[in-house]
Amino acid sequence: MHTVEISHISKSFGALKAVDDVSFEVEKGEIFGLLGPNGAGKTTSIRVMLDIFKPDQGNVNILGGPMTEAKKDRIGYMPEERGMYQDIPLDRCLTYLATLKGLTPAEAHSRMVRYLQSFDLMSSRYKKVKELSKGMQQKAQLITTLIHEPELVIIDEPFGGLDPVNTQMVKDLLREQRDKGVTILMSTHQMHQVEELCDRIVLIDHGRTVLYGRLDEIRRQFAGHAVIVQTPDAIPELAGVTNIEKHNSSAIRLNLAQSTSTQDVLRRLVEQGIRVDQFEIATPTLDEIFIRVVQKDNQELGAKS
Amino acid sequence: MNKFWQVTWHEYSRHVLRKRFIFALLSVPFFIAITIGLVVLIIWMQSTPTPVGYIDQSGLLANPVPRPPVKFPERLIPIQAYPDEAKAMADLEAGKLQVYYVVPADFLQSGQVTQFYKNNPEELAVNQFNTILTANLLSKQPADIANRILNGNQLIVQSVDKSREVSLEGIVNIILPFIAGILFIVAMSTSSGYLLQAVVEEKENRTMEIVVTSVSPGQLMSGKILADIGIGVTQLVVWGIFIVLVLLLGKPYFSFLSGLTFSGSMIVTLIAVMVPAFVMICGLMAAVGATVTEASEGQQIMALFTIPIWIPYLLISVFIQNPNSPLVIAMSIFPLTAPMSVAMRIGFTNIPSWQVLASIVLLVLSAIGAIWLAGRVFRLGMLRYGQRLRWNEIFSRQRV
Repeated sequence: MHTVEISHISKSFGALKAVDDVSFEVEKGEIFGLLGPNGAGKTTSIRVMLDIFKPDQGNVNILGGPMTEAKKDRIGYMPEERGMYQDIPLDRCLTYLATLKGLTPAEAHSRMVRYLQSFDLMSSRYKKVKELSKGMQQKAQLITTLIHEPELVIIDEPFGGLDPVNTQMVKDLLREQRDKGVTILMSTHQMHQVEELCDRIVLIDHGRTVLYGRLDEIRRQFAGHAVIVQTPDAIPELAGVTNIEKHNSSAIRLNLAQSTSTQDVLRRLVEQGIRVDQFEIATPTLDEIFIRVVQKDNQELGAKS
Repeated sequence: MNKFWQVTWHEYSRHVLRKRFIFALLSVPFFIAITIGLVVLIIWMQSTPTPVGYIDQSGLLANPVPRPPVKFPERLIPIQAYPDEAKAMADLEAGKLQVYYVVPADFLQSGQVTQFYKNNPEELAVNQFNTILTANLLSKQPADIANRILNGNQLIVQSVDKSREVSLEGIVNIILPFIAGILFIVAMSTSSGYLLQAVVEEKENRTMEIVVTSVSPGQLMSGKILADIGIGVTQLVVWGIFIVLVLLLGKPYFSFLSGLTFSGSMIVTLIAVMVPAFVMICGLMAAVGATVTEASEGQQIMALFTIPIWIPYLLISVFIQNPNSPLVIAMSIFPLTAPMSVAMRIGFTNIPSWQVLASIVLLVLSAIGAIWLAGRVFRLGMLRYGQRLRWNEIFSRQRV
């Protein structure tokens, strides 16, 4: 059973079709990436998933069925635009939001104290939320998302505006949650974070699914028939290599003929006495895949219109 | 405690426990207390203990009857008899008297006395001496006749069907429902203003998105509305207790309060009209809050609802002159003008039952409609940032 099953959902606002026939599934215990350029329909998809918006078409199954009020207590949500009551003390804000997730006031209070200690916010517990720094507010928002120990965490742009130390803290926290069996759906623009954390992704553009699957499979699917070689020596012409191009300042890329295997190339390099410091099959970064897919999608839409 | 009550308590406490709310709440009794204090002080100061003198040449005050008592805060001013004018004048010159009177031998025929003073005497001193003269003139009359003359006329105006009567003493009973209506509407306006502000703030600081993934929009909105009504009731209870205390404590001392009675039917009618009006206004405020993107914009739209509420007050002369005119009846039935109109008419006339009933039924229906509208607008507009919700979207067939 999947934790989240999104099936052919569509949602329009007036003339704008924000989400158009999007489908994907999120498996239990994985970190799933929901990707897409600005305005692609990611946040609308999340809001439909959370029953904030009703879809015009399609179905959402979450934690084994349609969304119910009781299920809201099993979900932690951190929206992109952070939301906290600004004019009340931090401890009161956290306790209130925790009680809305079904905790008793006593439970909410004891967990709040525990989380404030582990997030190093204990000294700020009586401060008004608006008096906290951006990083502190981000931590407070994470506490709100996790305090009720949800089974599913939906987190929109978790690294936005964070310094490297806090970014690392959030990454560690997400991994820790995954290790506990929590399912995490993460929406972000930071592709290197997705590569580091996510098992599977869906890429949405113009409200439609344009890429979906396991990250390693997608990268393989987009990999050209090429290898990246790092060597201090000049590389001569090699049989089976159609052309050689610079990959970056220290590595070169060898594009191979269809009939040539990577093993053949490695053997020929060694046979010719080339010192090989690094040899890897060229796979594109997620950034490159993202740009390629989105540009192709834009071109197709441009051609249609 | 379920989530609805969590929302209610949170909304109630975050406003009621704020310093500015407590300050506003206590400011009304404070200013009433200050006003009463000033009135008491002025009366107390006017009844200065500087004596009043008299020379009785008529023999009327040879064996004076006991002086009629005065009511607090007025003080009993000493009245001194003088054997001759020279001594009285000497004391007046020395500032030992504020005024003295010569009651001539023919006083019983002429009814005139002569007054001597250096500076205008206090009105209360003059009144107290007049009362002494009157009481002594009436000393041979039966006590009930004497008292009636001392207390003055009591004009009572009665309606033809004898169902209503108004007297000077009962004037407070005309003003009371009017004041109660004003207080109700002030409480309603301020607390529904808090609701509007809370909804817009939650949109502005994006808390709404967190909250609606924890509770249903229905729970959130109804919790807010109940909290808002609670805030209004808190204001009314505090102000009401204070005003009732002032009225009851002041009744023995202020003649205009002596006819004060609390009518059960007046209280029931006011509550029956004001409660659905309160719910209706709250629903409209929640809807406005969910529609707009900034608090200032919300306040402008809010004025569309609050101005009609006060229109009857601006037309008070129409209500006094003809409290049963078609315009007044229409305003008593139209939901936005009904609360103030009914409150004013209770004092000025007997409102026919069908009109009260029509007003209540329409207000209840409007309250239900406002809640429905608020629920729909809330779901459509709660996460709309930077773009106002349009009317055609609200009434479209869009699923919410």
